[in-house]
Amino acid sequence: MIVNKKPSLQCISYILIMVFSLLIFSIAAAEEGALKAPQDDGKNAVSVDVKKDVQDAGNNEAQLTLGKKLFGERCVVCHGASGNGKGPAGVIKVMEKSGRVLEIHPRDLTSGTFKFRTVSTGCLPLDEDLLRTITDGILKSFMPDAKVLKLDERKALVAYVKTFSPRFTAEEPCKQIAAKMPKWVGSKDSIVKGEALYKKMKCPDCHGNDGSGNGPKSNDIVDDWGNKILPFNFRTGNLKRGSTPDNVYLTFTTGLDGSGMPSYEDSLKDEERWNLVSFTLKLMNKAEYLK
Amino acid sequence: MQSRFYASLLLISALILLAFVSYAGLRELNPEWKTYQKEYKRLFFNNAVTPDMKKKAAEYTVGIRQIYIKDLNRVDRCDNCHVGVENPLMAKEKVPYRQHSGTYLKDHPVTKFGCTICHLGQGNATNKKEAHAEGHDTYWDYPILPLKHIQSSCTQCHNMDFLSKHGADVIIEGEKLFNEKGCKGCHKLSGNGGVLGKALDGVGSQPIHYFPMRYVEGERTQPSWLKQHFEDPRKVVPESVMKVKLTPEEADKLTTYILSIRTYDPPKIYRRINEEPIVAKDGHALYNMYCVACHEDGKLSAFDENLKGTIPAIENPAFLMNADDRFIEMVVKEGRKGTPMTSWQLSSAGLTDEEIKKIVSYVALQRGHESSKPVSVNLKTGDKDAGKEIFNVRCALCHGEKGQGGLGLNLANQIIKKADDQYLFKTIRDGRATTPMPPFGSTGLGLTDQQIVNVISYIKAF
Repeated sequence: MIVNKKPSLQCISYILIMVFSLLIFSIAAAEEGALKAPQDDGKNAVSVDVKKDVQDAGNNEAQLTLGKKLFGERCVVCHGASGNGKGPAGVIKVMEKSGRVLEIHPRDLTSGTFKFRTVSTGCLPLDEDLLRTITDGILKSFMPDAKVLKLDERKALVAYVKTFSPRFTAEEPCKQIAAKMPKWVGSKDSIVKGEALYKKMKCPDCHGNDGSGNGPKSNDIVDDWGNKILPFNFRTGNLKRGSTPDNVYLTFTTGLDGSGMPSYEDSLKDEERWNLVSFTLKLMNKAEYLK
Repeated sequence: MQSRFYASLLLISALILLAFVSYAGLRELNPEWKTYQKEYKRLFFNNAVTPDMKKKAAEYTVGIRQIYIKDLNRVDRCDNCHVGVENPLMAKEKVPYRQHSGTYLKDHPVTKFGCTICHLGQGNATNKKEAHAEGHDTYWDYPILPLKHIQSSCTQCHNMDFLSKHGADVIIEGEKLFNEKGCKGCHKLSGNGGVLGKALDGVGSQPIHYFPMRYVEGERTQPSWLKQHFEDPRKVVPESVMKVKLTPEEADKLTTYILSIRTYDPPKIYRRINEEPIVAKDGHALYNMYCVACHEDGKLSAFDENLKGTIPAIENPAFLMNADDRFIEMVVKEGRKGTPMTSWQLSSAGLTDEEIKKIVSYVALQRGHESSKPVSVNLKTGDKDAGKEIFNVRCALCHGEKGQGGLGLNLANQIIKKADDQYLFKTIRDGRATTPMPPFGSTGLGLTDQQIVNVISYIKAF
């Protein structure tokens, strides 16, 4: 009897432990899922939305009139009535945490040169790129978001912004680049490889060895319009287009046209660019993306 | 078998115990200070030239010593190791045998002053670790003061005027930095100064545990904390909004000065402080003391990432042209609620009306000769609701929907309510040159005079 009882008790306790751990595991998994789910939903919804609606958008007269009206209300202050970036507000100055003074020049919309795109360097931004910038604004640059506007109104603004540069009628749109993040991004191994690339590609010339944007060339950089610009300081603050791995990857891949930041689409392999993403995430101390 | 095993175990334990006891005994018989005193006696004898001296050296007895100073209520036992401080024959020896440098001991005899009144540390201790009290495991609040900051002790008894004539250059320059870098713009001291930072009264006497040492590199002491705070404020206090950054040399000097701000006053018979006649500071000096930390030279209008708001260029001619002295004085006196600009009047930041007037006239020196033409503004005709509509489209992007500010200044405060209508009208109509505030008038972004009046009616009602 005693001999029989012992193993059965053990059995029950083993089963109980397994049931409990399964329970805990499933709760944890569910919570993780719950945390992730809304983000994914949001992203998908926006991109699907954007694609569908932007495709539908025609350059009809009424839309341009609406766009012009909204541009006059919201954008003229900085970008100017002719869209040349010389609005009455002029240059905005920002003193960074580190004490550097950044000068922000509003974009010259007549040039057709835009920093934040999902297409190769030199290409015109896609409608959805412009719509994303108008909707979300640009962090740190005082380009405000326009979430108060309806989608139709924002689309009208996109259409109107495209009238400033003849490039939009003359050139064909390029193929969109999608960021497909490999699982190993943010791992220690990848960070080490990225650090080697950071040095090899001469990033420290502008961004400094420690990423604080004080490299030897940092004081001599000008943008396409001859305005002095400062390299990004990885140590303080976030990227203007957002600091998610995808955004960092797109910055490396598409380059920031008009500024000193080149595209590495041809000079680095896809895998290498993702390694560089890992290292810069480390520089920015983005613990949530590091493994 | 078992009894033999236990017997040998007992024997071994007893031997170990004996070894420990004898080691402890030997250590007690031969303390750190005894070694130093023996060596001192040898050096003394070697350095002595006259037979008289030799005799004195030979007569020196090794033994525990202490200096008791009744008036200061201090017992200092430092001379158990630093035994040669008063002996001129030891001038060239190494520390701790060496004679005290300079002529300080002539004016401050050891028997009257002791050591810790200037050098800090734990006077009662008889070994180096605990006497110097460096490191948290010594449980003493005031570790020995590094020699480069030693002048911070002079101010206990001497005033700055005396010190400047007697070569205390470090603390004099430290005080100069303190006054010129605008420390009091954020830190209160003796009842006046801003409120963004912590008050500095007695900071030199704050125990070591008062300073969060987590991010301090090297020795975790008050001087290290202060120095690293001055070199890069956010290194030791990540959430700090302090703007000033000093070079390492400047940081050392300012550290010396800050360490001199103590709570302990020596008894009157020790103090040589005459009531210094208070020299009234001029507008420029006051501006440097209270305003410069944020406004710098008053010419740059920039959004500050630390303070999360735009610091206005108060010497901008375009601002001074429209703002009269009365308005600037009101802003300085009352501050701007909702921004880091604090109220500077006597009851809050502690400036007298006279001092504020001086600051205002200093700022107003940059005002050009041309004044803007007066306009007639009748707010009674203003339509708040129409103003709101315009505000939300035109102004809210920078000034916030509720006027809370962003890139633009905070508008939801008393100053705007009390501001002259003409001043507000002209600012909106003409904008503010050299800042992102554009002209909204008919020659600029096209608001009619009536529309501007409507906007003013709306922002005055925030």
